[in-house]
Amino acid sequence: MPEMTAPKTIELRVLRYCPSRDSAPAFGSFQVPYTDDMSVLQALQQIKATLDGSLAFRWSCRMAVCGSCGMMINGEPRLACNTFLRDLAPDAVTIEPLQNFPIERDLVVTVGDFVKKIESIYPYVMPKAPKTIEQGTYLQTPAEMEAYASFADCINCMLCYAACPQFGANPDFIGPGAMALLQRYSSDSRDGGQQARLDRIRGEDGVWSCTAVGICSEVCPKQVDPANAVNQNKSKSALDFFLSRLRKETVS
Amino acid sequence: MSESRPYLRAQPRHWWAHSPYRAYTIRELSGVALALYAAILLAGLASLARGPAAFETYRQFLASPLSLLIHLLLLAAAVWHMWTWFQILPKTMPKLVWRGRLIRQDVMSLTATVVAVVCSLLLLSLFILVGAYL
Amino acid sequence: MSTPNDSPLPKRTIAPLFWLLFGAGGMLAALFGPALILATGVMIPFGWGLPQRFDSYANVLALARNPLGKLVLLAVIALLFWHAAERLFLTLKDMRAAPVWLLRWLTYGVAAVLTVVTLALLLAIGF
Repeated sequence: MPEMTAPKTIELRVLRYCPSRDSAPAFGSFQVPYTDDMSVLQALQQIKATLDGSLAFRWSCRMAVCGSCGMMINGEPRLACNTFLRDLAPDAVTIEPLQNFPIERDLVVTVGDFVKKIESIYPYVMPKAPKTIEQGTYLQTPAEMEAYASFADCINCMLCYAACPQFGANPDFIGPGAMALLQRYSSDSRDGGQQARLDRIRGEDGVWSCTAVGICSEVCPKQVDPANAVNQNKSKSALDFFLSRLRKETVS
Repeated sequence: MSESRPYLRAQPRHWWAHSPYRAYTIRELSGVALALYAAILLAGLASLARGPAAFETYRQFLASPLSLLIHLLLLAAAVWHMWTWFQILPKTMPKLVWRGRLIRQDVMSLTATVVAVVCSLLLLSLFILVGAYL
Repeated sequence: MSTPNDSPLPKRTIAPLFWLLFGAGGMLAALFGPALILATGVMIPFGWGLPQRFDSYANVLALARNPLGKLVLLAVIALLFWHAAERLFLTLKDMRAAPVWLLRWLTYGVAAVLTVVTLALLLAIGF
């Protein structure tokens, strides 16, 4: 008969905030029994199921494709479903909502502004040479797809925004995630909307808030490389800065 | 119960001094060290304009142990600038596809760094050649 | 879904100009900086590998009087100042050291002044 050993437990320190009750966020502590295969998300679900049903957090797929469970784990922006207790034990795990975003409640942050930023950069192919259905499909070589493939992998988890200190300093900065989506379309061989998108990011809150810190690409769980999306658009925006003056002169 | 009062935590004032941002701050400051070198060149230009006596004072400063120390520190800063410059460089370029595959950023960085080292060596060689024959 | 056409286009910023100057200075420093510092600060003053006569008054004057020499000196000095100005501006802004308008004058303003001073000195040295 196998020996019954006491289950090992780990302490989770979770930042709590309930607007109707609290004036400011404060840490709560939970002792959670765990096994080596458990993720931080499973630990949170365990807390909610057995210790404190009021704990609020977003989650969905449990497998790092939906982007819902982004949060600060031991001070780093991570997906909770993709972070494992065995790598953090035996020390206490500190869990906070994503940095740089307003906290709605517990680990849930406000995402409305992020959604507006995505909407603002024409997140769809605007065909260079539109085809009717009768004319057939748009063709694209594998090499042409490589040019935007990584940017298409973005799952909108916002870890890059949590990592970006310029977004922390300026919440109106369009940010790495929206720029990754912009570049996914602008470098698509079918697309002709490059100028329209450049016009949206030419301001102080567009690309020009970025100082090439680069941590956004380091925390990205999908290797999207948003730093590349932002910084290659600095060159394009700078070129546009001068070309637009020439365009105005030829028009007038 | 469904009151919404979002709470924004303030950005820590010294975020730039802590991990993981400290490396970025040091990188940026290496660029500022280059201004010190430019200032030394400008000082040389100013003393040149003032005449032989002033320029001799400048020469003597350049031949001092203090100047040597400063220049060695500036050299270290310049090398750090060069290395980190080419680490960032691929981020400013569009995705490059060669024979169906993406050119890797670390390959771009290493190639550019090697080219830069060669450029510096070529410049030094040029000076040495000029020194030998003129 | 709010359509982007509803909102006015963002105001252009002059930041690209300073970014290009930063880029030019940075590339110059990356390619030739170590060689220049080594040559002018270590090798020539002590005669290690390069002759000390390189920084004799007569030789440096000849370099500074040469039109091409003037161009090179102006480019190196000015671009390094503009590169440092952009980086210092952004770093001081990160540190919230002062109001942004003041930081612009202290960095870009000083770089502009130093560029003019360099040009003036090069012209004063004559041809």
